[in-house]
Amino acid sequence: MSKLTATRLQTPPVPVPRQPPKKPLLKRLASGGFIAALPFLAPALAAYVVFVIGPMVSAVRLSLYEWSGFNTDPQVFVGFQNYVRLFTQDAVFWTALQNTVIWVLLSLVIPTTLGLVMALSLNRPIFGRNLFRSVFYIPGVLAPIAIANMWRWMYNPNYGVFSELAKAWHLGDGSGVTFLSDPKVAIYAIFAAFVWQIAGLNMVLFLAGLQSVSKELVESARLDGANNWKVFRHVTFPALRPTIVVVMVLTIVHSIKVFDLVVGMTGGGPAQSSQVLALWSYSQSFLQHDFGMGNAIATVLLAITLVLVIPYLIWSTKGNED
Amino acid sequence: MSTLTLRPAKNAHGTSRPRRNVDYVRVGLWLALAVTMVIWAMPLIFVMFTSLKSEAAIFSTSSFSLPAAAEWQNYADALETGNLLTAGGNSLLIAAIKVPLGLLFSAAAAFGLSRIRFRHSKLILGAFALGSMVPIQVALGPLFKIILDLGMLNSPLGVILPYIGFGLPIQIFILHGFFSAIPKEIDESVRVDGGGNWRLFWQIILPLSKPALAALFILDFVATWNEYAIALVILQDQAAQTIPLAIQGFQSQFTSSYGPLNAFTIMSILPVLIVYLLFQRYFVEGMFSGAVKG
Repeated sequence: MSKLTATRLQTPPVPVPRQPPKKPLLKRLASGGFIAALPFLAPALAAYVVFVIGPMVSAVRLSLYEWSGFNTDPQVFVGFQNYVRLFTQDAVFWTALQNTVIWVLLSLVIPTTLGLVMALSLNRPIFGRNLFRSVFYIPGVLAPIAIANMWRWMYNPNYGVFSELAKAWHLGDGSGVTFLSDPKVAIYAIFAAFVWQIAGLNMVLFLAGLQSVSKELVESARLDGANNWKVFRHVTFPALRPTIVVVMVLTIVHSIKVFDLVVGMTGGGPAQSSQVLALWSYSQSFLQHDFGMGNAIATVLLAITLVLVIPYLIWSTKGNED
Repeated sequence: MSTLTLRPAKNAHGTSRPRRNVDYVRVGLWLALAVTMVIWAMPLIFVMFTSLKSEAAIFSTSSFSLPAAAEWQNYADALETGNLLTAGGNSLLIAAIKVPLGLLFSAAAAFGLSRIRFRHSKLILGAFALGSMVPIQVALGPLFKIILDLGMLNSPLGVILPYIGFGLPIQIFILHGFFSAIPKEIDESVRVDGGGNWRLFWQIILPLSKPALAALFILDFVATWNEYAIALVILQDQAAQTIPLAIQGFQSQFTSSYGPLNAFTIMSILPVLIVYLLFQRYFVEGMFSGAVKG
C-alpha cells in the first residue's frame, strides 16, 4: 500500500517509460555485432580475398614451384631453388633491385620537395593560381603509358625536343640526345617523366595539409618578427608533419609500383639496364614463362613493400584510435 | 616572355600589400612559377604540335615551332589504323560497370566497419589498408591463373573483378574516415524510429556522403581508365583491348609515324582531360579527404 502511493507520488511521468526501450536498444547494438555487419562487408571481403589476398598468397606459394604458367604443364615443388637462382645467377635481378632502390630514394627527395615548394608558393592569393595548380596537377591524371609515349617522343634522338635543345645550345657531339638508349642514363630519363607525373599530386596533398596550419600562429610569429624561413621552420613545418608522412608513404608505394613508364619508354632496356622489380617479375612470368622466378621476384617485392609500409600502418591506426 | 613579365607587375600594384619590397619577392616568385608552368606544359604542347604536323614538317621544322597548317590527316590515320574506337568502347564499358559497383562495395564495407560495432573491426580495416599499399604486380601471375580458370580471359569481366578487388582498399579507407566523422547520434535517432542498418546506410549515411562519393567516383573512373598492368595480362586479344593497351600497341606497331602516333596519344588522353576539366574540384576534394584522413 505504502509502496504504491510512494511511486505514485514520487515518480514524474517522463523518465519511467523512457527506461525500458533504452536497454533493449543497447543490448541490440552490443549483440548485433559482426552478424549485423556481415551483409555490408561480404561483397567487399569476397572480392578482396579472392582477387587481392588470394593471389598474393599464391604468389608466395608459386615462388617455391617450377611452372610454365600453362595449365597443361605440372607445377613441380622445388623449395627455395628459385630464390637461390635469383640471388646467385640472375644479374638482371640485382640491376632491377638497384634501380627500384634508386627510384625510391630519388623520389623521396625530388618530386616531394618540388610538390612542397609548389604548394607553399600557391598557398596564397597569387595571379593565375588556379591555372598554375591545374597545369602542375594534370600530368597526374594522365595514363602513365600515355606519359611514357609522350616522353619517348621528346627523347627521340633525331627529332625530339631534347635533341633540338642540345643542338641549339651546341651540347654533346651533335648526334642528338640518346638518353633512352644509354644504359647509364636510361633509368634517370624515365625518372624525369615520373617527376613530371607525380609532383603535382604531391602539391595537392601538401596544399591540403597546409589548410591545417594555424593562421593565427603564423600571424603571431610574424608579429614577433619571424622571417619567412623561421615561420616555415617553426610553425608550418611542424603542422605539416602528418602530411609529409602521407606523401612519403604514397611516394614509396608509387615508386615500387613503377611499371607502365618503363614498359612504354624502354621496356627495361637497353640491355636490361632500366629494369625494375615489378617489370622483371612480369617479364619472367609472362615473357619467359617462368612463373617460379616471376613469383619469387614478386615475393621479394611484397616483402620490401611490407617492410617499408607496416610501420606506417601501425603508426596510423594507433593515431586513429584517439 | 615580355608579356609574362608585364602581368605580375600590374597585379602586384593592384592587389598586394603596400610595401614595395614585398612586391619584388612576389614578382620573383610569380616569375619562377610561370617558368615552371611553361616547362610543365611543354610535354603536352609538343605532343599537340607534332600531332598536327605533316611528316615533312616534323622532319624539317623545329619541335618548338607551331604547325604551319593543321594536319588533321594524322588524326584520321590514327583512328583508322589504331584500335582507338574499339578500345575506347571497351574502356568505357569496363569503367561504367566497375566504378559504381566498386564504390557501392566500398561504401557498404566502410559502413559496416564504421557504424556497426563489433570486435576486430580495426583488424579488418587494417587488412584492407594494407592492400592499398601492395603493388598490383605482386599478384599478376596468380591473377592470370584465376581468370584463366574462370574462363574470363579477354572478357571485360576478367578485368572488372580484379579492378574491384584492387580498388576497394583505398576507397574503404577514405570512406571509413568520412563516415566516422558523421555524428553517432544520427544512428540512435534512426534506430529509435525503428529503422535498421539498411535504412541508416541508404537514407542517411550515403546521402550525407555525396561529396566524398562523387570525388571517389571521378578519381576511380580515371584510375580505371588508365590501368595497364592487369589489362596487359588479361586482355590479350586486340578486340578486347582497353585504351592503355591500344596506346602501347599503336606505339610498337607504328614506331616512326610520329604524326599519327602523337595524334593517337592526344585522342587517348582527351577523355580524361575533359573529365578533369569538368570535375576539377572533385579531384582536389578527393585528394583532400584522403589526405586529411592520413
